Amino acid sequence: MSEKTILLAIVLQLFIALFSSFLMVGLTSMYDPNSLAGYSHFRYDIGYAGNASPFLEDLGNSNAFRVHRVDLSTGVELLRERRLFAVVWVPDTAPDATDPVKITLYSLKSDIMGAVVNTKLKDVFLKYEDELRQARIVRITEQPVPVAVPPQAGSAGYYEFVYGLLIPLLVFLPGILSAALVIDLITEEYQHETLETLVSTPVTVAEVVWGKVLVCTILVPVQAGAWLLLLSLNRIPVRDPALILLHVTVASLLLILLAALVALHYRERTAAQFVFSTALVVIMLFVLAIPDNPLNIIARLAVGTAGTTAWIALAAAGVAALLLGWYLQRYAQNAQRKLHTG
Amino acid sequence: MLLSAESGKPGSGKGPHMSVLRDIATIARWETKKSFSLLSRDVLPIAIVLFVLLVLVTGFAAQSGLHLQDGMYRLGTDDRNVAALFSSDSRFTVFLSDADSLSPDNGKYDVVIVRGGAAAAPTEKGRAALQTLGRDYAKYKRSVYTNADDLFAAYPLWIDTQSVTSELNFSSPQNGQFVPAPPSRGTPVPQGPVEQIATPSPTLGVTPDEIRAELVTSSQENSQVSRYTDVLSSRQSALGSFKIPDELSPPLPFDSIILVFIFIFPLYFTSQFFMMSIMNERIERRGEALLSVPVKTPVIIVGKMLPYVLGMLAICAGLTLYIRAPPVILLPLLPVILFFLANALVIGMISRSFKELSFISIFFSTVATSYLFFPSIFANVHVISLISPLTLIVLSLQGTAWTAADYCYATVLFWLTAVVLFYLAASNFNEERLFSEKPLLPRCREFLAGAVSRAHPYASLFVIAVATIPFVFMAQMMGLVVFFNLPMPLSLVLLIVFAAFVEEMAKMAGIYTLFVADPAFFTTKKLVYACAATALGFLIGEKLLLFATLAEITESVFGNVLFLSLGVIWLPFLLHFACLLVAAFALKRWGRAGAVAGIIAAGLIHCSYNLYFLQGWIR
Repeated sequence: MSEKTILLAIVLQLFIALFSSFLMVGLTSMYDPNSLAGYSHFRYDIGYAGNASPFLEDLGNSNAFRVHRVDLSTGVELLRERRLFAVVWVPDTAPDATDPVKITLYSLKSDIMGAVVNTKLKDVFLKYEDELRQARIVRITEQPVPVAVPPQAGSAGYYEFVYGLLIPLLVFLPGILSAALVIDLITEEYQHETLETLVSTPVTVAEVVWGKVLVCTILVPVQAGAWLLLLSLNRIPVRDPALILLHVTVASLLLILLAALVALHYRERTAAQFVFSTALVVIMLFVLAIPDNPLNIIARLAVGTAGTTAWIALAAAGVAALLLGWYLQRYAQNAQRKLHTG
Repeated sequence: MLLSAESGKPGSGKGPHMSVLRDIATIARWETKKSFSLLSRDVLPIAIVLFVLLVLVTGFAAQSGLHLQDGMYRLGTDDRNVAALFSSDSRFTVFLSDADSLSPDNGKYDVVIVRGGAAAAPTEKGRAALQTLGRDYAKYKRSVYTNADDLFAAYPLWIDTQSVTSELNFSSPQNGQFVPAPPSRGTPVPQGPVEQIATPSPTLGVTPDEIRAELVTSSQENSQVSRYTDVLSSRQSALGSFKIPDELSPPLPFDSIILVFIFIFPLYFTSQFFMMSIMNERIERRGEALLSVPVKTPVIIVGKMLPYVLGMLAICAGLTLYIRAPPVILLPLLPVILFFLANALVIGMISRSFKELSFISIFFSTVATSYLFFPSIFANVHVISLISPLTLIVLSLQGTAWTAADYCYATVLFWLTAVVLFYLAASNFNEERLFSEKPLLPRCREFLAGAVSRAHPYASLFVIAVATIPFVFMAQMMGLVVFFNLPMPLSLVLLIVFAAFVEEMAKMAGIYTLFVADPAFFTTKKLVYACAATALGFLIGEKLLLFATLAEITESVFGNVLFLSLGVIWLPFLLHFACLLVAAFALKRWGRAGAVAGIIAAGLIHCSYNLYFLQGWIR
């Protein structure tokens, strides 16, 4: 590949980096919408229409809002002009009445700021709901086991998304790419018919295949290590990076060996890629459904709660890699024989 | 391999139109047969086995759950009931111990629950654990309360969520501000007319049994998944817009990304097959048989493309039926399909190997997906969202109508770029181009050169300049979407710089191609004529396309930057001409390196021109 294509790679990564903070907010909010609330410490103007109630006091006591008593129609028009962020209409139902208290909430459609305001309003609504439950407590027959959870300033939804989802998937991405790469490399030899030329030298098919497998495997800890380094530079510390890299390399080696076998069997790029991609989806789904799977172990290593199961899993993966490697050697020798005869 | 007796020989039909259609149909049939023959014999049995395995594994995963985040947090508690409560969440490893040894600060636990009170370790992990704990507890409380006899004592508060639409355009003062100016002390007063809103009724109007049933179903569905399926379905829950506070989950504008996953990704994968099919023709000169068939090149290209267009339309139609959406959403998808296929064709013809192909196609798909997705985030919020056809789909799913004019604005650039790319591909679909390998930039230059006619160089330059306009517009629209939401002077300046350089590079494309092909052609006089022809073409193309662009964009200050619609027409022409002269003479004097310097210089001139005329806005 000439340098121009590498330039495209760099431009692409710059493009993604440009949007990275945007992407981060977007992705985290997709995973956990409440995380948006942590993003601003501003007092929002909201309109309160209807009858006075303890809810008005709750809103006033919350330091996220500045409350304005308005008439409903005026309030909605102000909302449309974006001078208010939300309008609530409160009925005159008593706190201990048999009927429910139905509050109408008006907010802007599809608006990001509206979403932030809604999330903050949710906290006040939950508090008011608890007050109402207290007022009606004689009528509630079953009470849940009481656990007092202190309210949190700011949100930590980010943590679980990053360590529990992003990091395991991110460090396995180089492995998947390497597996696809090794298929391209091997099928290329067959399709451009360069394999026969190579084999007329003292090089054997097995050596060619192992060379390509080795190159692709070495790429994996290099790329995954770069990702971990960038993450730690970005103030996302990862525990046990060496052990994580070891796990990732062994698991990727398994994928790469499987890909090499598929490539040797089909000897043609489209078919090999198609079969391998489908098989990969099946394998990943299956692996994710087993407890103590490699991705889970990586998540646990990253947060520091792995324990001895990590070593057992590593040993199991190592044994599987050895077996698959031996099978690949046999297959490659078979392919050599077929080349000479067929 | 390709010619078989039953398929008939193309080029031998009765009448010109019938034979063209017959030829296209024949080539389409060959293409389909070829693609399926790849998947026969070895692959089909394995594909079936894998598919069966996929179904089995999905069932297994649904039953066993996804164990991705097991054992992340450590929870210590002294109460057996509490331990039983939280051990159902596999993210927690629960330890039972006596109250005195449970402290959040000793580093053994991330969160402890002692005598009914929860406390988190003072680390980021502890805070995350506490938050997950809080959510699990809220879910548990809900399951208890849903079974209460007096439902309105357990759920005394209900929220009726009403949305109000308020669309921004480029003249709104709120543009580019994340936080509005600090408000005055008193209550704000409305500026526009006040529409009377009826007082809402204080009752729910739904029986407690219906509420209980709905609460049970909504607590069972995974809220993280249902947010996205709700974008697609127009299913209304029995309770309509009524929610308990716990269920208040604001629909986010990013939710439209589900549309990208559903509609755009399958298009991307299908166009990959087309790309690989083109690439396969080029390896080992296999396409020679196809090229020797006595039909015109456009027929070959249309024929090869037809199965993929029909396939993509079928997939989109199937998906539309599955999500029970109005069929009109297929209309904005058609230009997107053609755009993807046109790019797949050109990328397949440009790349030297499968590695380069994968690489360039990933780059292209990232940029194309961003172009489609980012404006649609602002659907219902800002008029700029109409740049993307995806917005039309979002609007249709929400039940908002859009006009033919909206369709034109959103899709005209896709149609035009697809047509230009097909023309470029058709004029280069010959042996010399297909069976050779060249690095990326020289190959692109060759393609352009293939479209230039030596006999009429000035006319060709004119046409090339007009043809680059849709691409320039697309790039500038992308720039607009990226920059417009920044605070005011900065967004304008960035857009000016970006637009200027994109235009200068596009203008130089034709002259550069001719120059490299034949340096001796450009005497000083001919160079001046060439610059004039290109400048004229560029200007005319710009004005033509303006008719099809959003009036709201062109009349705004951003429109002034992009389209130079500042009244007098000879002034922009002079600008284009002058910038081109600078760049072209730099090319002639110093060769290719000079061209780069020339383009930078021309870009700077262009920027200063814009900045001079738009000073009022920047101050």
